Amino acid sequence: MTKFSWRKAALVASVVPMLALSACSSTGGKAPDAAGGAAGGQVVSTPKLKIALITHAAPGDTFWDIVRKGAEEASAKDNVELLYTSDPEGGRQAQLIEQAIDQKVDGIAVTLAKPDALKDALKKATDAGIPVVSLNAGESVSAQLGAFTHFGSNEKLAGTAVGDKLRSEGLSHPICVIQEQGHVGLEARCAGVKEKLPATEILYVAGTDMTQVSSTVTAKLQATADADSIVGLGAPFTLTILKAVNAAGSKAKVASFDMNAELAQKIADGEILFTVDQQPWLQGYGAIDAIWQNKRGGFEIGGGQPVLTGPSIVDKAAAADALKFAKEGIR
Amino acid sequence: MNAKEIDQQTLLQNEKDPLTHTPVHLLSLEGVGKHYGNIIALSDVTMAVDNGRVTCVLGDNGAGKSTLIKIIAGLHQHDAGVLNIMGEERKFTSPRDALDAGIATVYQDLAVVPLMPIWRNFFLGSELTSGFGPFKSLDVEKMKAITLKELAEMGIDLRDVEQPIGQLSGGERQCVAIARAVYFGAKVLILDEPTAALGVKQSGVVLRYILQARDRGLGVIFITHNPHHAFPVGDRFLLLKRGKSIGYYDKKDITLDELTAQMAGGAELAELAHELEQLGGHSDVVKEVQAEVAGVADVADAVQAGAPRHA
Amino acid sequence: MTQTISKTPPSKTPAPVTDERVAKRNPLQKLLGRPEVGALVGAIVLFVFFASVSQTFIQPNAFATVLYGSSTIGIMAVGVSLLMIGGEFDLSTGVAVISSALTASMFSWYFATNVWIGVILALMVSLAIGFINGWILMKTKLPSFIVTLASFLMLTGLNLGLTRLIGGSVSSPSISAMDGFGSARAVFASSVTIGGVDVKITVFIWFALVAVASWVLLRTKVGNWIFAVGGDANAARAVGVPVKATKIGLFMAVGFCGWILGMHNLFAFDTVQSGEGIGNEFLYIIAAVIGGCLLTGGYGSAVGGAIGAFIFGMANKGIVYAQWNPDWFKFFLGLMLLLATIVNLIVKRRAELK
Repeated sequence: MTKFSWRKAALVASVVPMLALSACSSTGGKAPDAAGGAAGGQVVSTPKLKIALITHAAPGDTFWDIVRKGAEEASAKDNVELLYTSDPEGGRQAQLIEQAIDQKVDGIAVTLAKPDALKDALKKATDAGIPVVSLNAGESVSAQLGAFTHFGSNEKLAGTAVGDKLRSEGLSHPICVIQEQGHVGLEARCAGVKEKLPATEILYVAGTDMTQVSSTVTAKLQATADADSIVGLGAPFTLTILKAVNAAGSKAKVASFDMNAELAQKIADGEILFTVDQQPWLQGYGAIDAIWQNKRGGFEIGGGQPVLTGPSIVDKAAAADALKFAKEGIR
Repeated sequence: MNAKEIDQQTLLQNEKDPLTHTPVHLLSLEGVGKHYGNIIALSDVTMAVDNGRVTCVLGDNGAGKSTLIKIIAGLHQHDAGVLNIMGEERKFTSPRDALDAGIATVYQDLAVVPLMPIWRNFFLGSELTSGFGPFKSLDVEKMKAITLKELAEMGIDLRDVEQPIGQLSGGERQCVAIARAVYFGAKVLILDEPTAALGVKQSGVVLRYILQARDRGLGVIFITHNPHHAFPVGDRFLLLKRGKSIGYYDKKDITLDELTAQMAGGAELAELAHELEQLGGHSDVVKEVQAEVAGVADVADAVQAGAPRHA
Repeated sequence: MTQTISKTPPSKTPAPVTDERVAKRNPLQKLLGRPEVGALVGAIVLFVFFASVSQTFIQPNAFATVLYGSSTIGIMAVGVSLLMIGGEFDLSTGVAVISSALTASMFSWYFATNVWIGVILALMVSLAIGFINGWILMKTKLPSFIVTLASFLMLTGLNLGLTRLIGGSVSSPSISAMDGFGSARAVFASSVTIGGVDVKITVFIWFALVAVASWVLLRTKVGNWIFAVGGDANAARAVGVPVKATKIGLFMAVGFCGWILGMHNLFAFDTVQSGEGIGNEFLYIIAAVIGGCLLTGGYGSAVGGAIGAFIFGMANKGIVYAQWNPDWFKFFLGLMLLLATIVNLIVKRRAELK
C-alpha cells in the first residue's frame, strides 16, 4: 500500500512554502503588521502583589480570553503578578485555590460556578487572611463564602433584558438555544427570556460540534414554523445559528448573548438584532483592581452587594463602537 | 523385527535417492544443527524429502521438531550442516524466501482468519484481480470457482464457499490450508502437528488429505508426536529426541510397534510405572502401565540389538 | 511404492466430506448474516416511529436536515468503520477533525495565502496524523486505545496552544474574505437543490465515501487485507499480507475522512473554535458499532457505519421534530447502542449456527 517516502516528504516540505509565497491572498488574512496595542498607562508605585485568578473556564472558550485580558490590564496597571489558572471541574478548581494559598498569594479572584465544591478551599483562604473576590458566577453565595465583593452580571437579569428587548421589537415567540445541557447559567438566561415571553421554546444543541448545532437548529426551525426569533447564548453559536437561519430561508430574527468582533460586525450590518453583553473585560479588570484597592487602603467596593457588569444591550446603534473594541479583544 | 536405518552413506553420497531413484532430493538436510546462545536446540540432523513422498518427523515435546521446521520454513537459520533444495545449497533468510523456493508451511494455528469466507481465506495474500490501475477489483467469481474446484480435488465438497471458515471443522480447515498451499505451487509442504488438536475421526480426514497432497506429487514433511498417525501415511521416519536424531528409517524397514517403542523410550515408561505405584495409584492402572512397559521393553531390546542407535 | 498406498486402506475411500450439519442457507438467512442487518432493522423502526409522531419529520426539507446531521457523523464513521474492521480504533478522530480545520485556517490566515494552500496542507497534516498514529502503534505494539488516547490529548493541547500562539485567541480568525474561500466553500460546504429541497453537499460526499469504501472492502485486495488484519493479524502476516502497511493505511484513511469533515466545518462556519470536537470520536465509534462492526475487528461493513450514523441523525433530529424533552437523548442513544449490539450479536450467532 502507501509507502512513505522521505524524499517526497522533503519535496513537499520545500514546495509548500514556495506555493504559499506565490499564492498570496489579496484580502483577509493576518494584517501585515498588527499594532501591538496593549493599553499602557502609568504603573502604580505600590509594592508588587501576587494575585491568583482561578476560573471554571473550559479550554478554548473565547469569553474567558476577554476576562483574562481585563485582569491582565488591571495587573499591568496595579503592579500585580497575575497567576491565571482554570479548570471546569469543581474539585480540581478547589485544588487550584489551595495551590494558590500554598503559593502565598496576596489575593484570590475566583469564579463560583460550583460553590459547594469550593467552600472548604475558600475557607482556608479567608482563614489565612487572603482577600477573596468572586466574579462571573455565584453572586448569591459570594458573601457567604467569604468574598468581600462580586463582579458579574446576573444571568436571569440578562435574560429578562433580552426578553424585554425582543418584545419591544414586536417579537413574541423566540427559540432559546442552549449549547450545553445542564448548565445553570445558560438555563437561567433562557428562563429570563421565558419570563418575559412565555411562548419561548428551549432548544438544546451539542456545542462541541458546530455541524450538529447548525443541523439541529435547522430541524427546529422546520418543526416550529411560527417561531419569529431565535436567541444564541454565545457569540460563536449565534453566528452558526445565523447561517442555519439563512440557509433554511427562515424569517426568524436572530439575537444573542455575549460578544465577539464578528458578532459586532453582523449587528452593525443589521443581520443580527442585538446582543446582551455582560462585559467580561470589566469582570476581570474589576476583580483584580478590587483586590489591589483592598490592599491599598482596606477598601471594599460594592457595599456588600454584587457589582453588576451588565447586562448592556448592544444594538445596531451601539455596534460600531463595540466592534472597534471587540477587534481589540476586550469586548 | 529388525528395523534397518537408512544408510547415511547411501543417502548422502549416492546422488540417487534409494526410494524414488530420482537424481536429487527435493529437499535434504545434512548434519544440520542450531543453537540459541549456549543451548543446543538441534544437532546433526540428516533427512530428505522427495516428490510424492511423505517424510514424518517424530518426537516428543522439546525434541527439536519446531526448530527443524523453522529452519526449513525460513524463520530461523541453521548454523551447522547443509540445507539443499533441488541439490542446491541454500540458507533462507525469511519465510518469503522459503515460499519462493516452493516450501509452504501449514502451521498449527493454520493461518486462516475465522470470520472470513472460505474463498477469501483461500486467496488471502495472493488475490486474483482484474481491471487496470486503481480500478483493479477482485475477480470474485473466478476465485470462488477455483476454491470450489481445488477443494473438490482434495476431496472436500463444500457447497458454499461463502461461509466463514470458522464454521468448518478443524479437519476441514486443515484441508483448506493444505489445498491452498498446493494450489499456490508448493513443492514441499510442511505440516506442523496437523492432528494434534483433532479427534480420532477428524485426524483420519486430515491424514487422507496428506495422502492426496502426496499423490499430487508434493514432498510432504509431516510433523507429529503420534506414531499411530505417522505410520500409515509416512514413507520415511525421522525420530528426534532432545535435539538429536535417534533414528531415520524407511517404511519397509520398520513396524509400527518398533516406531512406538523408539518414540516412547522403555526406561521412561518403567520409571512412570514405578512412580505411580509409589503414589498409590489405582492398581489396575499400574498394572496396565507395567504390562505396557514389559511389551515396549521387549521391542526396544530387539531394536537396540538389531541396529545401534544413531547418535 | 504402490505397496505403501495399498497398505493404507482407510485413506483411499474417496468419500466426499459433506457435513450433514452444513445445510444450504437460503437467501433470507444470507441477508440476516450481513453485519448491518441489525442496524437496518433499527433504522426502519426508528424512521416509522418518528414519522408517526411528527408530521414534519417526513417532509423533504426535514429529511434533508436529518441527512445533513447524519452525514457529519457518517463521513467519519466510514473511516472509523474500516479501521474497526481492521481491528483498531481511534480516539483522536474528534479533535483531529478540528486540527485539520485549524491547520487550513491558521496557515492561510497567518501567511495570507490562497485558502486552497491551507486546504492542501491540512490534508497532509491529517494524513500525517493518521500515519503517525498507525506507525507508533505498529512500532510499539501497544493497544490502539492507549496510542490514540495519547494523540487525542496531544492534539487537544496543540489545537488550543497553537491557535492562541498564532492567532492570539481561542478561535481561529474568520477567513471568509480570503482568496479561494468561495471555491473551497462550493466544494466542501455548499448545497444542491433537488426538487426544491436544499441538500447539503456533505450528504453526497458521505454517500460517495460509503460507496467507495464498500467497493474497496468487498471487491479489492486491500479490502480482503483489511478483514484479514482485523480478524487475525498473525494469520494474515503468515500468508504474506502486509499487515503494517494495511493498518497504517487505515489510520490514514481515517485522517482523510477527518480532513473532509474539517474542511466542511471551516468553510461552513468561517471560523473554528479550538476547543471543539472533543467527545465526537465516541459518536463515530457508536455509529460504527451500531452498524455492526465488531469491536474486536474482522467483521463489519461501511454501509453499516452509514446506517449507524443515520440512526444517530434520526434520533438527534427526531427528538427536535417531535418536540420532546432532550434530557433523555443520551440515555436513548445508549439504549440504542446496547440494543443494536445485542441484536447484531444474536443475528450473527443465529446466522453462523445455521
